[in-house]
Amino acid sequence: MQVLIALLLVMSALAAPAAAETIYVSNEQDNTVAIVDGATMTLQATIDVGRRPRGLALSVDKKTLFVAEGDDNRLDLVDIAKRQVVGQLPSGADPEFFVVHPDGKRLFVANENDNLVSVVDIAAGKVVGTVDVGVEPEGLAVSADGSTVACTSETTSMVHLIDSRSLELIDNLLVDTRPRAAAFSADGKQLWVSSELRGTVTVFDTATRAQTGKVEFMVPGIRREGVQAVGIEMSRDGATAYVALGPSNRVAEVDTMTLKVRHLYLVGQRPWHVALSDDQKRLVSANGNSGDISFIDLENQEVVKSVPVGRGPWGVVIGP
Amino acid sequence: MKTRHAVRALIGILRRETLRTLRQRGRLLSAIIRPLVWLAIFAAGFRSVLGLSITPPYQTYVLYEVYVVPGLAAMMLLFHAMASSLAMVYDREMGSMRLLLTAPLPRWYLLAARMLASVVVGLPLVYLFLLIARYWDVRPPVLGYLAVFPALVLAGLMLGAFGLLVSSISTQMENFAGVMNFVIFPTFFASTALYPIWRLAEAGPVLANIAAWNPFSSAVELIRFTLYLRFDPVSALVVLACLVVFFLAAVVGYDPGRGLWSRRGGEG
Amino acid sequence: MKALSLEGVGHSFGQRRVLDAISFSVAEGAMCILLGRNGAGKTTLFSLATGLYHARSGQIDVFGHSMRTDPAAALAQMGVVFQQQTLDFDLTAAENLRYHASLHGLGASISEARLREELGRLEVLDRRDEPVRSLSGGQRRRVEIARALMHRPRILLLDEPTTGLDVPGRRAIEQHVRALCRERGVAVLWATHFLEEVSADDDLVVLHQGRVRWAGGARHVATSLAVDGLADAFDLLTETA
Repeated sequence: MQVLIALLLVMSALAAPAAAETIYVSNEQDNTVAIVDGATMTLQATIDVGRRPRGLALSVDKKTLFVAEGDDNRLDLVDIAKRQVVGQLPSGADPEFFVVHPDGKRLFVANENDNLVSVVDIAAGKVVGTVDVGVEPEGLAVSADGSTVACTSETTSMVHLIDSRSLELIDNLLVDTRPRAAAFSADGKQLWVSSELRGTVTVFDTATRAQTGKVEFMVPGIRREGVQAVGIEMSRDGATAYVALGPSNRVAEVDTMTLKVRHLYLVGQRPWHVALSDDQKRLVSANGNSGDISFIDLENQEVVKSVPVGRGPWGVVIGP
Repeated sequence: MKTRHAVRALIGILRRETLRTLRQRGRLLSAIIRPLVWLAIFAAGFRSVLGLSITPPYQTYVLYEVYVVPGLAAMMLLFHAMASSLAMVYDREMGSMRLLLTAPLPRWYLLAARMLASVVVGLPLVYLFLLIARYWDVRPPVLGYLAVFPALVLAGLMLGAFGLLVSSISTQMENFAGVMNFVIFPTFFASTALYPIWRLAEAGPVLANIAAWNPFSSAVELIRFTLYLRFDPVSALVVLACLVVFFLAAVVGYDPGRGLWSRRGGEG
Repeated sequence: MKALSLEGVGHSFGQRRVLDAISFSVAEGAMCILLGRNGAGKTTLFSLATGLYHARSGQIDVFGHSMRTDPAAALAQMGVVFQQQTLDFDLTAAENLRYHASLHGLGASISEARLREELGRLEVLDRRDEPVRSLSGGQRRRVEIARALMHRPRILLLDEPTTGLDVPGRRAIEQHVRALCRERGVAVLWATHFLEEVSADDDLVVLHQGRVRWAGGARHVATSLAVDGLADAFDLLTETA
């Protein structure tokens, strides 16, 4: 029987896609970034970074990882090849989340305590501008053409649209209570904003700035308060959105046309953010309470493995 | 023992078991409905909507439905083995066991063939259950259904040997009912079939210890692991060892020189 | 060579002695009646003779094969009809016979041929594909006898084969078995408590309280005991000592 099983294991290994990719996870309570090999789904290294790392993102050339450190009021620069911190950037106070502008030169950082969005020039290594937004700014998104930056403010329950060139506020849109993440569709025509307390995602038309729909989430057996919408990831083809549902331990797969939930994935405890692989076949969730990340095989619609990475995984990105 | 004779006898015994099983529709139906009812009831009772913590062979969080299916497959084998040994006690009371044992073949072979036939007849239902469980979103890898086959056979034989042993000891149906109540049900409940060890440990360390040493747990885990394309050598060895011990004891129980019949008579 | 021979066979269940120093034999092709009242030890004797379990003492041989050391060879020569029903009620008569044939290692074609022959001989061929459950008591007995003959045994053991049947049914079974003995030379050991099933030409063994009280030609039993007939002889032999 052992031979038979060994044979089956080999066959199943051959059938599995060998993804040459690396997953980077910020561990909020460990002050580390975990590096997980995508092919073997095993933890390869953890590197020490500043205090309370949450938001993280890859540079446009995918050679550098930026990590926002809320308690150190700065960003760390991690060299992907060397796997070590090679520099710092200023960020303004208490950076939680940020986005890399498609021009590759600027970062937009939410300063939670100062009700500001700071704009950081990467090359110059300094804050080159600020935008006043609502109370407790958190989620940030930038449209694919780079023209617009969206920022949510948790306490004001608004999403603020910022002209990335002039750094002027274009508009403020009311959304459901305690908005967390924002995301533009790939074609830039839609803006999705998640509400943590209402457990919904509000969808706006970016041209008219009118609300065009709302996604409701229900997990059978869990009370409504337990279903909270946080991180959002949009597929490149625009057909699908993935939403982390926090304490319900689920990630939802949403059809962007019908706004219906196609599938609910059971992942680790309290997923904060999710990230899609480059081939769009795999999704990874960072599970804050269970200290692990969950790999979801989107083709087979199944969660294949959860890998411990450290205490308080929060942000997750997938790189080469 | 001529090989051709032995093979023909095995086929004959297999055919008899198949025909008998197919003609007992009620038993067949309850055998498939029972685990489905358990699946529905236990999964509802055990609030696992937030996922069970990771226990091998699972590599991620699973719902209770997923956890309990291998245990219920083992339960099907257990109940089938018990029904089969009940039939043997009945056969003894009714005398058809005598017919089997007056065949000109070694007795151990006849008993082994009877046991194997019973397992083979029981397996299609287990597979049917595993397929129906897919509607509960219990979807092990496709190759797992192939890999679990030898595990189901081995576990089925171990439980069948246990049933054979019970049938060699209990001379009357009443004894058998006692065995069912005081051996089979505790065996089932104090195992990892329905609850993971950590959950049993919450109920009490004694229970968890019993479950850890319970050979039925090994049968359950062997099935669980192979269904998910993992191999648990300890479970496999425990199940194999129990199979050998139970079967040898049963052969002694049916031995013409030492068995119960020669000591107590009995009309069968 | 004797078809069946028992020498000094004794058995007990715990402290209870059920058979003691049993010695008799059945000649090849002979019809031997084992006569005894209920509880005489007939069924235990059958269990021993069919190898279900071993006698505590003594020797049992079937055509020279020891039941203790070579049971397979001994059983291959023997057909058995137990006192209890041993048919599968859910299976048809033919399926029951095929099962038995397979236990004796017979192939499919030979099994089909004999099935027809034996069921025909016992006049139940027309019921071959009916579940045994739907057959009458007498028909079931005949199916059992046909089954016992499937592997062409040279000795047939029947334990109270007519119990529970009406008089015509009993008569028919007896005639079938006597014909077998006469025409095919099959030795028969017929256990019964019915005196009327004993015929003058039979060999007779009278069993009482676990001992053989008399063995010899049935026609001689009355004269040797100086009584008037078989009934008186049997009463005399089975008087409680």
